[in-house]
Amino acid sequence: MAQPETAPPQTAPAPVPAPVTPAPGVRIDGLTVVYKTTAGELPAVRDVSLTLEPGTITGIVGESGSGKSTLALSLLNAVQPPGRIATGSVEIDGLGDVVGLAGERLRKARGAHIGYVFQAAQNSLNPLKTVGKQLLDLGRSHGVDDLRGLVREAKELLGRMGLDGARVLDSHQHELSGGMRQRVGIMLALVLNAHLVVLDEPTTALDMITQANILKIVREVHAERGLTTLVITHDIGVVAEVADRLAVMYGGRLVEQGPTREVLGAPRHPYTRGLIQAIPRLVGDIDEARALPGRPPTLATVPKQGCVFRERCALRMDICETDDPAALADGPRIVACHAVGVKERA
Amino acid sequence: MITATGITRTFKQRGGVLAGREVKALRGVDFSIAKGGAASFIGESGCGKTTLGRIIAGLESYDGGEIAIDGAPMTPLKPKQRQPHFRKIQMIHQDPYSALNPTRTIHQTLQAPLALRARQTGRSKQWMEERAAEVLSLVGLDPGSVLSRYPHQLSGGMRQRVVIARALTVDPEMLVADEAVSMIDVSLRLGILALLKDLRERLGVAVLFITHDVATARYIGDDGELFVIYRGQVVERGPVDSVIADPVHPYTQSLLSAIPVLHGLEEPGEQPVVPLESLDESRADSGCLFARRCPFRSERCESELPLLQVTDGVPQEHACFHPERRSVIARPLSGV
Repeated sequence: MAQPETAPPQTAPAPVPAPVTPAPGVRIDGLTVVYKTTAGELPAVRDVSLTLEPGTITGIVGESGSGKSTLALSLLNAVQPPGRIATGSVEIDGLGDVVGLAGERLRKARGAHIGYVFQAAQNSLNPLKTVGKQLLDLGRSHGVDDLRGLVREAKELLGRMGLDGARVLDSHQHELSGGMRQRVGIMLALVLNAHLVVLDEPTTALDMITQANILKIVREVHAERGLTTLVITHDIGVVAEVADRLAVMYGGRLVEQGPTREVLGAPRHPYTRGLIQAIPRLVGDIDEARALPGRPPTLATVPKQGCVFRERCALRMDICETDDPAALADGPRIVACHAVGVKERA
Repeated sequence: MITATGITRTFKQRGGVLAGREVKALRGVDFSIAKGGAASFIGESGCGKTTLGRIIAGLESYDGGEIAIDGAPMTPLKPKQRQPHFRKIQMIHQDPYSALNPTRTIHQTLQAPLALRARQTGRSKQWMEERAAEVLSLVGLDPGSVLSRYPHQLSGGMRQRVVIARALTVDPEMLVADEAVSMIDVSLRLGILALLKDLRERLGVAVLFITHDVATARYIGDDGELFVIYRGQVVERGPVDSVIADPVHPYTQSLLSAIPVLHGLEEPGEQPVVPLESLDESRADSGCLFARRCPFRSERCESELPLLQVTDGVPQEHACFHPERRSVIARPLSGV
């Protein structure tokens, strides 16, 4: 099953040229998603506002339990009970507020407008059906009349990603490698011509060379098809390679966002700084890498009031105990931290 | 001191259309680790690095070659006789969620191996209790709060520490850590790596580190040796920093080129190497195992297998007919 391995991402994520088809913009405003537990309803995502500019790639970085996957599912209005979107809106160009969508309209929107590549897409295929059969199922459930055209489009997409389309469509998932399955996942998300694509952990469980290849494909397909792309990951390296804009999530809050290079080069929120400092590097003094003390909160241990990060924060002040810092904008950068605010006013 | 010489292992497919097909997982691997030393194996999935770790830990059999533990060769021994030797080598698995029994408290989890150790060394029940608290403290956990808990009450990072503590109960000389941090939250990873590094220094425990993340290998043992393994053959080996800074084998260069660049902090290397195809185990090879994917192959590479060797002007051992230094890794931007 050899196919050409394309170049690993080396060039910086360049601003995307004018898209062929208008990519949709997305405006998430004041979104709160709660899960019902024995301790009452607890917020997994709390008061998150995030704008995805048309034609950009945004990366959301967070640890397990930070709420990043819940946030991504909200884009499809697909948060499953016991979870529910409590407040806020998700406005998508051409669709309106998806929080208000339901039933058939919501089902049509998923797939046709929003493509979603699920976490562990490698394992989300039906083991009993060939990829081609699953593609036809997808087409039928979305009322596609021209199924031949759909297959043609699928082959073209697979070919674009360096695979032999006809052969892949005839294969069962066990005949495909992890990297190939991931590409099938991307194909299924795009084949109905969605222009908003969400990739949840697109490279987890892939090794380095395959990861580099997938990231390059994500970037190229994004530019060629004129997409708005959201990448969810725990790996800063992944967003550093693909994203124009980076948003950092912690304990259900977006603590920092801004242009990727600026955030990585000069992180402002203590959590972002700590995360970057905790990455072991290939050159230089290895003792410069420092572990973040403490551990990330879970749904049950997220503080009910005050800053979500204060337990692990070196810059902690009295106000952090009581007041949740607001996300304040400074040009393209947005930071939610009392200490950063103080420093700038001083 | 643990020494492995010429370890080979071939898996035969059973049943199905591929029956009888052989996969050479290891094709003669040599290495040795001294007390408190470190060695890291890097490579793609399917390159044999996990099989090697399992063989060294005594969990998997080998076809050829020899493992010597403190000078005692294992091959002549019966499985039962090998056990006390392999006790000295303990495995830390990738997934701390499945490595601990969810129905047992941490206290119960530690008691089983401690009871064994107490029998072997003629120690008392009192010693077992003390030792349980001691190994937990060694891995940075508070025995008072952890002993009575169940695994689900601990975070991933704490669970991995418990797994390491359990390994320490039998006084190992070496830990085999197979992707030991890849399932741990990013902010907690460095803590586990620092712990392994610390155990090397404080207890003189050697670490065999198996990973696809070169930077973590460097963190645990920048004084140790780095082995780059491809389809069961070590294709490059040398001091960690030397291999990272001056790789000469195109496969090593491909692996290092694929590491994401932290744009804003780093700039990409100048001569990235990209393999021509992806890994395909099913094809028979006549020459160099990497030749089909290698952008620099020559005719010789397709007919003759290069062996690990030392050549003039090359800082580390390599298995390549055309070794050439290339600048592939990302460099920190100046002024950041």
